[in-house]
Amino acid sequence: MSLLDRHSVFDGKGDHNHPLGTKITYWIDSLRLDHPSLSTRESKSANRLMYPTECRQRSITYRGRLTGLLHYQVDDGPVQVEERNFGLLPVMVRSNRCNLQMMKPAELIRMHEEPEEMGGYFVVNGNEKVVRLLVAQRRNHVLAIQRPSYGNRGPGFTKYATQIRCVRRDQTSQTITMHYLSTGNLLLRFPMRKQEYLVPVSLLMRALVGASDREIFEAVVGGDAENIFVRDRVELLLRSGKDYSVFTREQALAYLGDKFRVVMYAPEDMPNVDIGRLLLTRMVMVHLDDYRDKFNMLAHMVRKLYAVVSGECQEDNPDTQQMQEVYLPGHLYLGLIKEKVEDYLLGVRAEIGKDSRNGKVDLYNKRYLSRLFSRIGADIGQKAQYFLATGNLVSRSGMDMQQMTGFTIVAEKLNYLRYLSHFRCIHRGAFFTELKTTGVRKLLPEGWGFMCPVHTPDGSPCGLLNHLAHKCLLTITLEETEDVEKTLVRLGVVPDIPKPSLCDPNMLTVQLDGRVVGYCTESVAVRVAEALRILKLQRAAAGLEAKGPNIPYSMEIGYVPRSHGGQLPGLFLFTTPARFIRPVTHLATRQEDHIGSFEQVYMEIACLNEDVHPGITTHQEVLPTNILSVVANFTPFCDFNQAPRCIYQCQMGKQTMGTPMQSFPYRTDNKLYRLQTGQTPICRPRIHDDYGVDNYPNGTNAIVAVISYTGYDMEDAMILNKSAHERGFGYGSIYKTEYVDLGKFRKSGDPITTHFGVGRDMLTNETIYERIDIDGLPFPGVRVEEGDPLYAVIDDVRGRTKLIKYKGEAGFVETVRLLASQNPDEELQVVAFTFRIPRSPIIGDKFSSRHGQKGVCSQKFPAIDMPFTETGMQPDVIINPHAFPSRMTIGMFVESIAAKAGALHGVCQDSTPFQFNEANTAADYFGEQLRQAGYNYHGSEPMYSGVTGQEMRADIYIGVVYYQRLRHMVSDKYQVRTTGPINPLTHQPIKGRKRGGGIRLGEMERDALIAHGAAYFLQDRLMNCSDYSLAYVCKCCGSVLAPIAIPATSHLVDLSRPGPLDLVCRLCENADGITMVALPFVFRYLATELMSMNMKVRLDVK
Amino acid sequence: MNGSAHVGDPNNPQIRIRSLEKDSVDFVLSNTQLSVANSLRRTMIAEVPTMAIDLVQFIENTSVLADEFIAHRLGLVPLISHNVDEFKYTRDCTCAEYCKECSVEFTLHVKCTEPGTRVVYSTELISSNKDVVPVAEGEDSRGIILLKLRKGQEINVHCVAKKGVAKEHAKWSPCAAVGFEYDPHNKLRHLDYWYEKDIKDEWPPTKNADEELEDDPGAPFDYKAEPTIFYFTVETVGSLDPQAVVIKATRVLQEKLGALQLALDEDQNRDNNANMDEGEPWV
Repeated sequence: MSLLDRHSVFDGKGDHNHPLGTKITYWIDSLRLDHPSLSTRESKSANRLMYPTECRQRSITYRGRLTGLLHYQVDDGPVQVEERNFGLLPVMVRSNRCNLQMMKPAELIRMHEEPEEMGGYFVVNGNEKVVRLLVAQRRNHVLAIQRPSYGNRGPGFTKYATQIRCVRRDQTSQTITMHYLSTGNLLLRFPMRKQEYLVPVSLLMRALVGASDREIFEAVVGGDAENIFVRDRVELLLRSGKDYSVFTREQALAYLGDKFRVVMYAPEDMPNVDIGRLLLTRMVMVHLDDYRDKFNMLAHMVRKLYAVVSGECQEDNPDTQQMQEVYLPGHLYLGLIKEKVEDYLLGVRAEIGKDSRNGKVDLYNKRYLSRLFSRIGADIGQKAQYFLATGNLVSRSGMDMQQMTGFTIVAEKLNYLRYLSHFRCIHRGAFFTELKTTGVRKLLPEGWGFMCPVHTPDGSPCGLLNHLAHKCLLTITLEETEDVEKTLVRLGVVPDIPKPSLCDPNMLTVQLDGRVVGYCTESVAVRVAEALRILKLQRAAAGLEAKGPNIPYSMEIGYVPRSHGGQLPGLFLFTTPARFIRPVTHLATRQEDHIGSFEQVYMEIACLNEDVHPGITTHQEVLPTNILSVVANFTPFCDFNQAPRCIYQCQMGKQTMGTPMQSFPYRTDNKLYRLQTGQTPICRPRIHDDYGVDNYPNGTNAIVAVISYTGYDMEDAMILNKSAHERGFGYGSIYKTEYVDLGKFRKSGDPITTHFGVGRDMLTNETIYERIDIDGLPFPGVRVEEGDPLYAVIDDVRGRTKLIKYKGEAGFVETVRLLASQNPDEELQVVAFTFRIPRSPIIGDKFSSRHGQKGVCSQKFPAIDMPFTETGMQPDVIINPHAFPSRMTIGMFVESIAAKAGALHGVCQDSTPFQFNEANTAADYFGEQLRQAGYNYHGSEPMYSGVTGQEMRADIYIGVVYYQRLRHMVSDKYQVRTTGPINPLTHQPIKGRKRGGGIRLGEMERDALIAHGAAYFLQDRLMNCSDYSLAYVCKCCGSVLAPIAIPATSHLVDLSRPGPLDLVCRLCENADGITMVALPFVFRYLATELMSMNMKVRLDVK
Repeated sequence: MNGSAHVGDPNNPQIRIRSLEKDSVDFVLSNTQLSVANSLRRTMIAEVPTMAIDLVQFIENTSVLADEFIAHRLGLVPLISHNVDEFKYTRDCTCAEYCKECSVEFTLHVKCTEPGTRVVYSTELISSNKDVVPVAEGEDSRGIILLKLRKGQEINVHCVAKKGVAKEHAKWSPCAAVGFEYDPHNKLRHLDYWYEKDIKDEWPPTKNADEELEDDPGAPFDYKAEPTIFYFTVETVGSLDPQAVVIKATRVLQEKLGALQLALDEDQNRDNNANMDEGEPWV
């Protein structure tokens, strides 16, 4: 099956025999994507391949050349082949076109990547871009929908419809919806180039297989002839089809072809019947090739629609995972490329059309043709890059998507967990963010094991931006299903022909990937489902040497049993890509079975051993923690915590200043956070090692005392031990990279006039001697502060050396990167500076434990003032006991004693959740360990005040908790000013920390100050530090605007009068009442604004 | 002396050393008040001067660690400071920046030339003073790992160790931890032990509990009693001997008290003088 259609165009220079003129047929075949390599202009490197690290550091795109073979044929002449260049297409890192693909860790390190580089992203302009997973409707499965808005579509429309999202082999999709009209008619709706078309279903059914009325009746009603409801509807349906006076297949096809000729861009010589066929192929049930299959599926759709209208079955909920799958990045990307190639072909068509109108067309001229084909913009690479860089989908057809923006995100390397979760997050769709109803955000039981219940952000994207459970997989392969079909028949499913369903109303439909394979009775369906599962497991166990039928391991066997008003019964099998699957244990064989989200609903899966009911339960969870996402799994003892705290921790874990990577010297990210003194947690879950998190530590094991000490720890503040801080607790740095491009303002072609370097005029300058080398660039390792000279540039025009100063926080020059130009032999113009800014913890910095317990450092006490235990232990961190009662983060207590016991015995503790129960409690388990080490069973110790040495009244809970330092630091947030920049219009302080603005003292703050009677302070805030101004007021007329300064020569000035000489009131025409008052400047502005509306402001000045 | 705590003169403190190791001392301080005992603890932690690297000049650093991070690690390396008293504080010294009187210089120059990892230890710091060297446990110990180098990487630093106290920075502290306890049987009832079922089961006795007799449950509570016996465990980082820490701390405490006494006396005298001045008639 070809990816793209052939296009045929006529030049319009027809004669009597060929009224349309010469015909050219052209198509694109075999697209090829090359490995990313250096441009041909670059001539010095022996290795022509390009690697992602170079793209990151040079801030360019990692891409390879895309070419396609363009075939064309003029009339019936020979087929000509020409290679067309479609530009440079961004390539996914570690995909099969990436130069890193087969590399092992050692080689990856040599390539300046992480040893365990996972890939899966694109490098676009130096940024790592990820195409986010997006929830899609389950493909090739008919959904019954009841939506009130459908009733408003037009006269006769009701709220009932069935919908199917059909996916072609090339993974592009076409959704069709069947509407139920109150007249009994059915209309099939499908979009085409963002336009919607409605076609009567009876017409389509006739066009598909030339079905007679009887055949349509039988296909829909089946053996259910007793069902009066359905019978009546089908009768109505058939009757309404009579209006078109279409009786045969040919007529139906011709009718459709006639109506769709223009929108289909069909060749002019194509008969209507063929266009009708084309429409059916391209738009109706596109996942099926055979018209009979399409017909059967359409009949099923009709049957399901009637079933939901009559209440025989319920409507499906499109928000459950059962009815969902995923838009995979690769499928999306392929769809985009396909569409852009199609655009190119359509562009050629339009160009020929234009030329033929101008009479310039000459299809037998090879030169004309080659010029024609190269005239159309064909830089698909550029368009794909735009898509990845902005996340905006520019599409003619809409690609059957609900949204056009927000497809890509930057994979921030803030820390390991953050980075990892970019690849595991899955969005419900931008459309739902605006939705007032919150139904879509609900956590549904169907998502068990597929979506993490705790890892979702708080606030507006809550429940829409989910994360996959850490064992959830997405199918990615197209499976061969021939064997499945044969097996089905062998197992007793009766194929469609001749209608077996006619005799028995209880026959269930058996569908494989949205194709009606046959029918069987309920009892057979149960047997078939069981047998298939066994065969599937056998196949999976046998591995490569498997004999027997090829049943894909990821196949879903969704047997929906008959019920009263439940889902429409049937046996639904799925083998397609982009589905959710997850491993569970098959109890009978003790083998790992992969189950999908559709079948899970109808399966009996036990969680723990005690949940197994013999004879009923068929499967069991591998581990109870499988339902949690990667990040949620890293919360120790999270089963002890109140659920929202685990949600908070999932957020905070991703804001932690940790170790984002090992390859720091080769990164040019805008901003990187790094914890210099990271430790591996004493308390860690089992999957800690599976994910290799030890190489990317995210925090420090801190001795934490829960005590109210001096009051500096109240309201979620925490006291740090100053001596611990001096020994390196929580010490971190920020790496910032700035690019300097001297050629930024230079037009291409202009000579270079600025160079990095120190000119003669500066050579003896001592201020730069220690910082800047002769090449004009700073020495790596030099300390820079705001205002220090950073680099030197020689300006040819002015003949002088210019020193450019460093702006920003004090730090060190970590790296100076010289970046070559795209053009070979051009001198150095672009430099990237990486600065290392030390950020040792200070008062106001934010920390948190792994239990959603965040706090701000409020004070750093020296060791001698900290409370201590009998053994001389002093806490690194003091937190207040009030942080616990309402938040109920018992997990933190458990972690505290577990890690304390672990530290005392010198072992790492397993903090995997769901390990303890009422009979065997965590408190006893770790308490016993503590007692054996000579400590109190409950984790408390007597403590002494560091100041007086007095023993405290209560014993204090002290233990070891893994603390994270969050990236929110006061140094990035503090805002202070007395006076500063002002708004030119109102003279009030501007806002914004970056611009040196103020913090708004708003109405409520003002109210509070009034209530306190803090009059002087109020005056200071609202007047003196804001828009204090002195204004002249005329006492006589009370106007602030009338007094104006006039030139001394004016006749209005009466020199004999006292008062300011050059002032006069324009209303009173004298200066008698003019005095000066202090006013907020906005008042003057207000008066002016009111004046423009003919309103006067009168001040009563005494 | 023995455990007869109730007797004794609070102004005649006594020390009984229970054990003395290379880097720790365990002693019982008795016949004194809580404030004195705690002052001793605080002084031992924060005010006994030692030597520690305070200035690091980087000549070459091509290792993977940042300059300030290595400097910080160097600062925390404990240096043998037995003769710390021979040095002046730099602020009291006559020199401009640092000199032999107030500092010790160290150099560290390592380059890794072979494949594999070259580990740099604290004992590779070359001292300008044979008495002030990095602490190493035992003869063949190589000290603390400072950093690791791979082939081609080099570290070349010049460090200056100065005298200081932990009040200023924790690196000058001679103590790793100071254990401190009084009243192991909670006779004074300063503490209200929390327990679930059985206090004996849940609160294991400390090793100091053997030193004192257990409380007689029937005896009346002496609400006026004050703690007089204090159990100390001083653990050092190796820069000073444990006994030296205690002795030096006592001396520092004495000096401070002496200074306070002097200041008070002076103050008193001045006041007296002032009073006398007041009496004089105006001229």
